[in-house]
Amino acid sequence: MKFKIVFILVLCSTFYVPQIFALNMESPRFRIQFSNLNTASGTKSSEGYSLSDTVGQLAAGRFDSEGYVVKAGFQYLHSIIPFRFTITDTTIDFGPINPKTFSAAKTNLIVSFGSAGNYQVTANEEGKLRSPSGNTIPDTTCNGKSDTCSENVAKPWTSLIAYGFGYHLEGDDAASDFIDSTYFRPFPDSSKKKPPAVVMSNVNVGKNRTATVTFKVNVSPDQVAGTYQTVINFIATPSF
Amino acid sequence: MKHKACNKIQLNTFLKFFLALFLIVSCFMFHVSLIYAQQISISISPPLLDILIKPGKSILVAYRVENFGDPTIVESKVLPFIPKDNNGNIQIKDKFEGPIQFNLDNANLKLGDSFFLKTHDSQQLLLRINVPEDVSDGDYYYSLLAQTQPPPTIEGNSSSRAQATIGSNILVTVSGSGKVDINGKVALFDVLPHWKLNIFGRTLKLFDSNDKIPVVMIVENKGANRILPQGEIVMKGNFGETAHYDILSQNILAQSQRQILATPSATIDCQNDSKEKVCLTPTSLILSGFFIGRYLLSTTLNFGEGTPNIFASTSFIALPFKFIISLFIIISAAVLIIRKIRDNQ
Repeated sequence: MKFKIVFILVLCSTFYVPQIFALNMESPRFRIQFSNLNTASGTKSSEGYSLSDTVGQLAAGRFDSEGYVVKAGFQYLHSIIPFRFTITDTTIDFGPINPKTFSAAKTNLIVSFGSAGNYQVTANEEGKLRSPSGNTIPDTTCNGKSDTCSENVAKPWTSLIAYGFGYHLEGDDAASDFIDSTYFRPFPDSSKKKPPAVVMSNVNVGKNRTATVTFKVNVSPDQVAGTYQTVINFIATPSF
Repeated sequence: MKHKACNKIQLNTFLKFFLALFLIVSCFMFHVSLIYAQQISISISPPLLDILIKPGKSILVAYRVENFGDPTIVESKVLPFIPKDNNGNIQIKDKFEGPIQFNLDNANLKLGDSFFLKTHDSQQLLLRINVPEDVSDGDYYYSLLAQTQPPPTIEGNSSSRAQATIGSNILVTVSGSGKVDINGKVALFDVLPHWKLNIFGRTLKLFDSNDKIPVVMIVENKGANRILPQGEIVMKGNFGETAHYDILSQNILAQSQRQILATPSATIDCQNDSKEKVCLTPTSLILSGFFIGRYLLSTTLNFGEGTPNIFASTSFIALPFKFIISLFIIISAAVLIIRKIRDNQ
């Protein structure tokens, strides 16, 4: 019996596999990680070119050949943390939208970035929230007058008679104009050739930098009933 | 009697089985993962490519796009970009333009084609970068983008559908001779003072002794090719104390400016101190410590071997203003109290 219990406990312990990390050496600006675990490397050549590479490239290098010089990675710093971008929930469901009532839904943006240099996440919408019959919900201007927001400047949006669609951002590396949870911006409309707005950015090394986006809608009593949809494009790019 | 013993054995066996089942189920319950709705998580490597190339040459670079989220469909494309501001942010253009040619050498994929990625699956993209013979010398900047498809619409409810795009920047310098045009200058090197005082045409930049000193340095690239500044910032005090801060090498694109970063820099918790000046404006370096007197800050930069050194300097004065004011208030209050006591006596 004892043997069986011990056996079961040992078996159970094998189910839980903790995450294993390499040793990190870090300061506010740098993170150096050990060690370099290449899967393959070497020099490949043919008549026209010669290329040195490191598959599963953990240490970037400087590759010379007649006619070109290639540097891959950030000024020869390369990390085992790849540039990774995550959206935790891609369907932002507002549920039934009632006039003069704020409807909100949330998702998280997560960026992991292990090299020197900075990153940015930008956002835009592929047109306004639109119903199949062609009716649209306008983009928010927030409370209006002195509290009129724009694609790049967040302002308070608390008035139930201020109608539209907008977003708020809070968390790591969020744009600084989202001063508190009442501050919102409209998405830039790519169908009107408006450039995407920067929503997250950081000049430092980071892992799992997480910001929460709150999408909010408020419609007037005159808004035509229907199912309104749009696509929001979040673009994560490293710096140069 | 024999029947009772048999029942007892059966009961023990049942209890053992139940105990074992309970232990195994418990073990599974200990490890609870976070569950989200449909999740997108993609990575791209390498995140930056820096090429110096002659006209008429082409190279092949292997990229890897990996899916860490739910299964998704990804499309690859290359678009040009321009610098958006002096903080290293970029603006990707809507349409492809420029003389550099990009193709995928994959047997079954072309740029613009979609491919399916299962969870933890990856796709290698063999990007061929071709520079035609007639391309003029200069810099050309592009991003290789991997874009996911938005999820299907929800029937009956209004919703937004999120789409993720991840990019990797490609900096191409075309040079027939192998030489590049390096022409950089320091556009701004200054501190962001707490107080400014104009005396006899000179501006004094004042800080309290305990203040953090934000330093801003912007380097301008007036040349036709990107530059990579190297150098340091040196702080010298009244009493001969000196501190050195290394400049982080970051590309400055042709005909643009960039705020340069230096290290080691102090950090500030901007979540809690969001009204601090250093939180409102991007800075190159934050100096921290107890400062007293006049300090001279200087920077020396170069853009690689054989390029001349560029020099810029500024200064600031730090005095214990808060301490002096507090002391004055305490002394004044003490004098007032003593006078009042004397008057009462």
